[in-house]
Amino acid sequence: MKFALEWIGDRVAIADAGGTDGVRKLLDRAGLPIESSEGEGEGVVLDVEITPNRPDAMSHRGLAREVAAMAGIPFRDPGAEGELPASGPSVEEIASVEIAVPRLCRRFGARVVRGIANAPSSPQVRARLAGIGAKSIDAAVDATNYALWDLGQPLHAFDLDKVAGGRIVVRKAKRGEKLVTLDGVERALEPTDVVVADGQRPISLAGIMGGLDTAVSPATKNVLLEAAWWDPVAVRRTSRRLGMHTDASHRFERGADPEMIPAALDLAARLLLAAAGGTLLPGRIDARGAALPRRRVVLRLDRLRILAGDPRLDLDFAAEALTRLGFSIATRSARRLTAEVPSFRADVSIEEDLVEEVLRAWGYDRLPSRLPATAGAGGHLEPRRIIEDALSDEAVAAGLRETYSYPFVDRGIDESGFAPWLEATRTAKEPLSLANPVDASKPHLRSTLFPAILDAASRNFRHGARHVGLFEVGRAFGSEGDPARPDTFESRRFAFALGGEARPHWSTPAASRDADFHDAKGLVERLLDRWLPAEELAWKSFEAPAFVTGAAARCETKAGALLGVIGLVGRAEREKRRLREGVSAGEILVDAIPREARSVRFRAFSLFPPIVADLSFSLPATIPWESVDEFARGLGLANLESLRLFDRYTGPGVPEGQVKTTVRLTFRSSERTLEQEEVNTERDRLAAALRTRFGADGG
Amino acid sequence: MTAEPGPGPADDTISKLVAAFHEEAARGVSSRSDFEALKGRYLGREKGLVPALFARMREIPPADRASYGARANAAKREIEEAIRALGELVARGETEKSERAAAVDVTLPGRRVPAGSLHPVTIVRRRVEEIFLRMGYSIADGPEIENDAHNFEALNFPPEHPARDAQDTLFIDLQAPSPLLLRTHTSPVQIREMKKRGAPIKIISPGRVYRNESVDATHQPVFHQVEALVVDRGISMADLKGTVEAFFEALFGPGTRSRIIPTFFPFVEPGADVHVSCIFCNGAGCRTCKGSGWVELAGAGEVHPRVLEACGIDPEEFSGFAFGLGLDRVAMMLYEFPDLRLLFDGEERFLSQFAPLS
Repeated sequence: MKFALEWIGDRVAIADAGGTDGVRKLLDRAGLPIESSEGEGEGVVLDVEITPNRPDAMSHRGLAREVAAMAGIPFRDPGAEGELPASGPSVEEIASVEIAVPRLCRRFGARVVRGIANAPSSPQVRARLAGIGAKSIDAAVDATNYALWDLGQPLHAFDLDKVAGGRIVVRKAKRGEKLVTLDGVERALEPTDVVVADGQRPISLAGIMGGLDTAVSPATKNVLLEAAWWDPVAVRRTSRRLGMHTDASHRFERGADPEMIPAALDLAARLLLAAAGGTLLPGRIDARGAALPRRRVVLRLDRLRILAGDPRLDLDFAAEALTRLGFSIATRSARRLTAEVPSFRADVSIEEDLVEEVLRAWGYDRLPSRLPATAGAGGHLEPRRIIEDALSDEAVAAGLRETYSYPFVDRGIDESGFAPWLEATRTAKEPLSLANPVDASKPHLRSTLFPAILDAASRNFRHGARHVGLFEVGRAFGSEGDPARPDTFESRRFAFALGGEARPHWSTPAASRDADFHDAKGLVERLLDRWLPAEELAWKSFEAPAFVTGAAARCETKAGALLGVIGLVGRAEREKRRLREGVSAGEILVDAIPREARSVRFRAFSLFPPIVADLSFSLPATIPWESVDEFARGLGLANLESLRLFDRYTGPGVPEGQVKTTVRLTFRSSERTLEQEEVNTERDRLAAALRTRFGADGG
Repeated sequence: MTAEPGPGPADDTISKLVAAFHEEAARGVSSRSDFEALKGRYLGREKGLVPALFARMREIPPADRASYGARANAAKREIEEAIRALGELVARGETEKSERAAAVDVTLPGRRVPAGSLHPVTIVRRRVEEIFLRMGYSIADGPEIENDAHNFEALNFPPEHPARDAQDTLFIDLQAPSPLLLRTHTSPVQIREMKKRGAPIKIISPGRVYRNESVDATHQPVFHQVEALVVDRGISMADLKGTVEAFFEALFGPGTRSRIIPTFFPFVEPGADVHVSCIFCNGAGCRTCKGSGWVELAGAGEVHPRVLEACGIDPEEFSGFAFGLGLDRVAMMLYEFPDLRLLFDGEERFLSQFAPLS
């Protein structure tokens, strides 16, 4: 919000406050920091950041008071230039105000000026308004604007001749009522809206904007100036519903000062008379709603010192600081004081508020520094966070890079290819939608991280990458949750994408190949190993439109708990992203991973040498490796240390439909050195068993 | 050369053989196959010249047999020994040759084990966590979908309060007793943890938050915060100040200064903005700090008594401070990248640039 330094200087000596720089420091200390300033010398304009609790500072007078209080120098209003000359009938004979909603309109003041000419406002008024970037309209409107920026009280000027009967009623709108506001927009009113009405119809949206019909115009002769206090919540509700934000609503929503009304009316009237002539009617209308309660707040010395952490603070300082800020000290004892809160400080209601006031005057920078004595155990309170970090570390060690994405999607466009996966993770129903999406084309919250990680992978390929390895940790969302427990709408996920050339190097160009399904599976095995060794994982074929048929799998625990899915990304998803490279991707359900890492204890190993024996055989290609592997392990081959798939070959020399398989058997005893003959016996036993069981053709 | 010349044609055969061998061996063997051929010619079990000496034993008169045998054995030992030495020589030659072949142009690119990396915001988050863990804080976590009750009401944002404007909330389109939304800050985690654990409490809550911001270089609808909360008997603004100073000095390095100035957040009273001496100009004034020497980096204050009450903590007995920081901005400052949009691009040329902070 913009303010002119010279205008602030009406009420406080800027030089005594240390000039521009001094004012900057003082306002910083007050908690009203200057975001930027323009101009030099007399013409300095400050852009002041004012938090919503400080409507009292949204005027030149308010800022001057803060500067004076922080600097401990005098603050004084300029002396009134004598009583305003008034003549003619009393204002009460010309106009009347009735408040039908006393809690929503606590005070309504009005003055009337008759017989004005169509004139601009004075050069000084226009210059000051221009200086802070406010437009000049005419004498009447400028007078109200000037008063707003000077005193913080919003005003409105009515063309009195258009107010039916000069009679004003403050009431709630009736259903079906309409009002064309100053900006020319017709507003349909609701019974929650507060309006200023004449005998017939609404003429102003209370505290927000006046009506067009009753606005002052070049033809206006008689003006009724309104200054009122409006309920913050009522103003805010209406302004939000209608999408209207004005200088007036901004202040009323935050809490105006009912005591400023008479002075604001007088100032506006004085400016209007000076610029446009006319006659001020004697007297003011001062209609009252329910009085705002007086606020008295106790400040205890102990409390002040505890919250500040500064034993040097005492009640003498507190009392002086509060006085400078406009509070009055009602009672005072050795350990406590009672302060009466000024009407302009709607934000102060409890003891902690007074502590802040005292500390503002004291200066936060003077407070001592120390570390809390509170002992803490340190550590993580959410075990799943440890899992997320551990997965990330493992992925980084495996050469992947972490990426972030937005969770906003269009279910139909982005996630339809993953429907079976959504089904498996119970997020297939309607996605969660945003009532006010950032991007209207992505109104849903994602139920899987797949689309985002594939987007990122394709972007990298389009930008020239030859190999991509990415992962993301994030949450996916579903609509089946318990509103009382919002975390039930979420699921923690770890997603990855691998694509393009696996490990390209100049020395072995022939070894370059695209990352494939097996890379993805191996990665998942490695990622999960800390909790679940590969032997405890079960892989089952999985089909989804997003993946190549027959090249996707769900990963489960042996007990059948779903852990994730991986797959080679299929044509549809690739075409959507103009992705030429082979990409395999996976998503792990972090919540399904055991909370505790598996327990690891030392296992003694044999000191005797191993004997390695290879065995080759041909099998029907339809037999899954898993059943061969399990069968072979189940034979109980004596001294078998490990059995590893060494080679799978199809092609010349192997009959159609068969796959030549070589396994490498490692035998080792923990008690003695084995003989080649006994190893051969066991290998032959395996060969014979495979022949019987699978019709495996040895050789 | 130790075989003595003996009388008779048989002895002559032995010495001739030895002499012939030495002559041949002296010419040297240049390869493994030459060596194997030489070895086979003399020592070969079937046709070797040395075994042939013994095969001739029958032709030797019985009286001379002992002497012939001794000489033949000596010759055999001599040739075997020489061949063994020759074999070693050949083997060494081979090793040297293969080592020569293994020599490389050391300036060729190495076969690199591919490197992975954490996202820069993750790096900063972990660094922040580490600093607080060392100070004895625990790390708490909460849902990204929140309700109005936790995100606003318990934090002393009354309904229809203008302070809600600053939050630009994204609301979830779902009927719920307390409207659901994407959390606008990590402060609701404070509420959940205080309700669950009571006081004293000493936690940080890092996490992802959402605002309805239109995207530009310095604004994102998705960003990250970390919030620290300490509630105990007698926790003061001085504790806040000391913690803020210690934290930023640990994060940005020795000599970093911090200050607090008054401000307003509904959930704290007194409230404070935390300013940190600009890490680019060290407080001298530059573009980043708009010439002020200070950068506003965090919001803080004493926990509002109504917030403590909402969590079942007696504000007469306990007080506390809270302090919250945006991680994306810190990452931007530490790594000096110009545009927050880079954080969500998934562009490896960006992601590959960041190494963990020491």
